[in-house]
Amino acid sequence: MIEIDRVSQVFQTSGRQNHLALSEISLTIEDGAFLSILGPSGCGKSTLLYIVGGFVSPTEGVARMKGKAITGPGPDRGPVFQEFALFPWKSVLGNVMYGPRQQGVKHAQAEAQSRALIEMVGLKGFENFYPKELSGGMKQRVALARTLAYHPAVLLMDEPFGALDAHTRTRLQNDLLNIWERDRKTVLFVTHSVEEAVFLSDKVVVMTRSPGRIKEIVDIDLPRPRRRAELLLDPHYQKYVVDIERMIDDTSEDELRP
Amino acid sequence: MISMRALVSRSAPLLACLGLLGIWQIGALILNTDSFPTALDAIRAIPSILGDKESLINILASLRRMAIGFSLAVAVSIPLGLMMGRSRGVASFFNPLLMVIYPVPKAALMPIIMLWLGVGDLAKTLVIFLGVSLPVIYHSFQGAKAVEEKMLWSGAAMGLSATQRMMRIVLPAALPEILTGCRTGLVLALITMVTSEMIARQSGAGNILFNALDMGQYDAVYAMIIIIGAMGIGLDAAFEKLRGKLVRWSEPGFDIPLSFA
Repeated sequence: MIEIDRVSQVFQTSGRQNHLALSEISLTIEDGAFLSILGPSGCGKSTLLYIVGGFVSPTEGVARMKGKAITGPGPDRGPVFQEFALFPWKSVLGNVMYGPRQQGVKHAQAEAQSRALIEMVGLKGFENFYPKELSGGMKQRVALARTLAYHPAVLLMDEPFGALDAHTRTRLQNDLLNIWERDRKTVLFVTHSVEEAVFLSDKVVVMTRSPGRIKEIVDIDLPRPRRRAELLLDPHYQKYVVDIERMIDDTSEDELRP
Repeated sequence: MISMRALVSRSAPLLACLGLLGIWQIGALILNTDSFPTALDAIRAIPSILGDKESLINILASLRRMAIGFSLAVAVSIPLGLMMGRSRGVASFFNPLLMVIYPVPKAALMPIIMLWLGVGDLAKTLVIFLGVSLPVIYHSFQGAKAVEEKMLWSGAAMGLSATQRMMRIVLPAALPEILTGCRTGLVLALITMVTSEMIARQSGAGNILFNALDMGQYDAVYAMIIIIGAMGIGLDAAFEKLRGKLVRWSEPGFDIPLSFA
């Protein structure tokens, strides 16, 4: 379980002014939940994810993992970034093996596991390719496999499909769900796409813009396994999407008021 | 099979050399003065220099100083540049110092260095060291600064310590940029090597050149220029080959044939 306890984040802008990015966020994420954080750009949703990852320390408040305060990154929380952040000097296999090797897994075993993971994300045959030679969708598949390879308890996904074209994005969403439904890791998923959040999640946290606050938490009560074609026709799904879109519109209008 | 185009592009440097020698030859024949021997005369003088034991010892001494100066500079500059690139504190400490040293021609420091360290190997190696250091520091700094934060975060999540991230993420990620600096450094090593021997005339390739000039042996002067030039081209080509191997993954035009064994 992850607890975010009254976390606030203040950034200093280049003009030496304090900018409140996150304001008193409290949130509990149950084990095995797929939780999306949804909000307009600049609402601090990625920052919240970085705080859970231990990459950024909150200005105030505390984030806890299994009751222990998070003080830094660790292999129990695996990030997947929009920018992929693959190691360009390593092949696909080298990238995926990196984590297990660092964790002290023997070479042969790490290689066998990594090859299986590469196959699972649909990249069999590309083991010896370098990141430079892969498309964006393929890179993100490698990044996912690389993170899954060291068995984090929590996946931290920072707009992972944000840089991909619509078609690739849909395919990766489907594949992610398939993979997730096998082992039900806890997933914290940051996105600005309402459809994506509703399609994937058990829970959607809607945030307001600047300073980022939680506006509403919506439980997505749709059956699993979810199939995209069925879901798109499902009035419940459609209602979730419309309702959440309306919430986001409201937050944008709040901002226009003086 | 080598295609016609590949053949042309591969032999282009050779053709350029031959072209230059041709122009030289014609120019020298037209001018017809003692101080400008023809290319053929200069080339004919090369074997006697390379066959002379004394000259060979001099040239090897030069190369040794260059190798030592270059290696030491690289060994010091890469870690320093990388640390500057990743730590604002280290950067703001060393930056002003380097900014002052950067525009000063290193050979201009030679008289002071000679005053302190004499005219021997130490002074000359130090000048080479200084000449090589700056481009290598600068490029290592730029390379380390450009390393994507998220790449380091990914490493941290896998359990890499700060030192491991430096050695195993920053270093390889910055390697293409570092090697660009080393390539510039290698050419500068050759330049500072010759200039140092020109100022502190005691031994070395530069010394042979300027002694020949003093004695009016113009064939030997030009022959020596060809030898030093060839050393530069050879070293650069060898380094490029090594660089290509090390950072194949970063080359823009790099592609593996789309087939699997």
